[in-house]
Amino acid sequence: MPLTRKQHERLANVVTFTPHMRPGNPPKARADLPDQADQGISSGTGMGTFLLLFPGSVFFTFLVTVGAGLWGTWLPSLGYLPAMGKTTLTLHPWTELFNHPAIGGAVRSTLVSGWGTALGAFLLSGLLFAMNYGSRTWGVMEKMLAPILSVPHAAFAIGLSFLISPGGWLVRMVSPGLTGVDLPPAWVIPKDPQGLSLMIALVLKETPFMILVMAGALQQIDYNATMAVGRSLGYRPAQVRLKILLPQLFPHMRLSLYAVIAYSLSVVDMSMILGPTTPPTLPVLVVQWFNDPMLETRLMGAAGATLLLGMVLGSLLLAYILEKAIIRCFEWRVANGRRETLLSPMTPVGRTLLMGGMTVFTLTMVILVIWSFTWQWPFPEVLPAQWSFRFWEKSIHDLGSPMGTTLITGLAATMAGLVLTIGCLEYEATLSKTIAINRYKKCMSIIYLPLLLPQVAFIFGVQMLLTWFHLDASATGLIWSHLIFVLPYIFLTLGSVYRSFDRRIMTTATLLCGSPMKAFLKVKLPMLLRPILFSFAVGISVSVAQYIPTLFIGAGRFSTITTEVVALASGSDRRVAAVYALYQQLIPMGVYLLAIFVPKLMFINRKRMQR
Amino acid sequence: MSLELKHVQITRKGQALFAPICLNIFPGETATVMGASGCGKSTLLSAICGSLSREFRLKGEILLKGHSINPVPMERRNIGILFQDDLLFPHMSIGSNLAFALPPGMPRYLRDEKVKHALGQAGLEGFEDRDPATLSGGQRSRASLLRTLLARPKALLLDEPFSRLDHGLKGQIREFVFDQVKKMNIPALLVTHDPGDMAEGPLIDLTTHR
Repeated sequence: MPLTRKQHERLANVVTFTPHMRPGNPPKARADLPDQADQGISSGTGMGTFLLLFPGSVFFTFLVTVGAGLWGTWLPSLGYLPAMGKTTLTLHPWTELFNHPAIGGAVRSTLVSGWGTALGAFLLSGLLFAMNYGSRTWGVMEKMLAPILSVPHAAFAIGLSFLISPGGWLVRMVSPGLTGVDLPPAWVIPKDPQGLSLMIALVLKETPFMILVMAGALQQIDYNATMAVGRSLGYRPAQVRLKILLPQLFPHMRLSLYAVIAYSLSVVDMSMILGPTTPPTLPVLVVQWFNDPMLETRLMGAAGATLLLGMVLGSLLLAYILEKAIIRCFEWRVANGRRETLLSPMTPVGRTLLMGGMTVFTLTMVILVIWSFTWQWPFPEVLPAQWSFRFWEKSIHDLGSPMGTTLITGLAATMAGLVLTIGCLEYEATLSKTIAINRYKKCMSIIYLPLLLPQVAFIFGVQMLLTWFHLDASATGLIWSHLIFVLPYIFLTLGSVYRSFDRRIMTTATLLCGSPMKAFLKVKLPMLLRPILFSFAVGISVSVAQYIPTLFIGAGRFSTITTEVVALASGSDRRVAAVYALYQQLIPMGVYLLAIFVPKLMFINRKRMQR
Repeated sequence: MSLELKHVQITRKGQALFAPICLNIFPGETATVMGASGCGKSTLLSAICGSLSREFRLKGEILLKGHSINPVPMERRNIGILFQDDLLFPHMSIGSNLAFALPPGMPRYLRDEKVKHALGQAGLEGFEDRDPATLSGGQRSRASLLRTLLARPKALLLDEPFSRLDHGLKGQIREFVFDQVKKMNIPALLVTHDPGDMAEGPLIDLTTHR
């Protein structure tokens, strides 16, 4: 039970006048105590200046990296690349881009899968929430969220392709009984030219993410009271969630929705596994061009990356306009008094959708496990004819180096991200004026840029920047590039919990032990252990899943589990691909388990620390 | 149109929170249930409006206009409730908050007119487009009551609605609430721990009611 303000002030007074207090303590500070306690200031100005280093370096790093990344892509798109002896500005790369035979198809499939995903994930998460929240199925789903989200995109894509491809598990389950076929049908699934299988996979992967964000936002609203008011006015529960709760939740979900839009328009690894091939989606095409030995093609790649950036920014603008339009259209309708909703009779549909989604996730994991132990598996059979450990055994010899790179990069980037994030949040805690906090938050929102821009739109420039520092293809460069994507997610997951930490506890602790640093290490950090470990797990899983930064900044010298998985996915041996996909899955899964059980065990006799 | 409690008792894990209550509240009348915090008076209200959480069991019968409403889900009971907090929806204007409570099937101009009329009655003329957060405490609780009443409830429950108000404001809002109850001619039930809040109707003191 946190101390009430009265208790805390009394305690502060007691401590102030305790006789054994060290004489070194400046009397001025003591006289100021009640005032300090009121404002919750826990550290002196010296501490604040020291802490300013954290937001300062984060801001500067992000500004330089993203800024240089974008410029370093824009200039080559105009033919300017001094490192390769190109110093004249020209529109040639752009004319080449627009005359390229693949560009039309690439742009189309990118837009279809990207917009389909964003709309699908957003509508689905909203409707599932309205229809199912509070039901038992929803409870099961909430328990499954963390493991579902920990599945890396590439591993999920491989599992899904084993499920839905013509020779996949689903067809095997009904063949030849229902389909009458002995040979896999000749469907172009996945990798259909429209990008629909890519879209479905992305919707399945991004909807749980949106639901997680929604569940987090829901904690800021008094759900039960809102429900009671709505229902006492005659509204069905689903209608209250739709008309009253979702509009309040949306502002908290906007940033994540934008991240989903940007991500699904610019995803590379998943698109290489499930997306169309001739032509591939634009981001994949851009990566191919960037890796072309011909310099002219690379310049065209820079133009393509910039076009993708334009598509993403245009889409975000469109999403913003759509939001305003929808609010205008529905503002009055929300208050039109209709109590009934189509959603209520559709509850069974909602349950089925939710169960279906969870089943697909389970099946993708199961099929990966089955394939990893397969020796021979002729087509219409539902299960392998012969099993084997061979591919697991073989993988252990080849695994060392990519696994080591993955773990070291992930740990280094995540630890750095955590320290920087906590430093930034601690600095924020020293600010006492709302205006100052808001200005600070506005400045710090620069860290979300990497989530809202396509990776390929600035990673080429980042590569240039690192070359300039002689850090290209170095471990430092690789960790730096991962940090740029890990830090925003750590900030997102840790920020709100960290900010809601009761300041009076820190004041009390500082008064008792006489040092803000000691109070921070002995009281605040342990109390926040659970959320910190959770963001640690998020950081690791984000780092493990990075494909583009490893590919570009590692410059072929570093391979991680993810680059191996993506390379193997296009190979013909499903068994090896399954083994590596499972390795890729194992790391985040293990870290999430640690994040759940370590605090449970550490605070086993502390009921309030068990949530 | 009366609200009747017949041997109503609430149990939790088999333990009764209070002795069975029998109470008949006539239209236009406000009954009071008094008791210290934790005696189960708010739980009694949630049982009447239908939002009793699963850990509790309801014994006895609640009748509205002579019909038992025990099995009726909350949204069909037609019972308005006013909480300690105003619980105005923070993302909607005052006008939309009130219009939200109006019955469906009215053209927009009529809805606007009804909202305007209601606001005028409560001394809140021209507040349609105001953000709830910019209103004073008294204005918010009046708006909240208006919203509850615009849904045309057949009974009104008051869950310590005056406890967060300043002393001077309290009497004014209290009078406004009881006036509206009389005007609409519906039964109302007030729960409070403050003897000063008491209404004129029947009284049950849960502290002595064991």
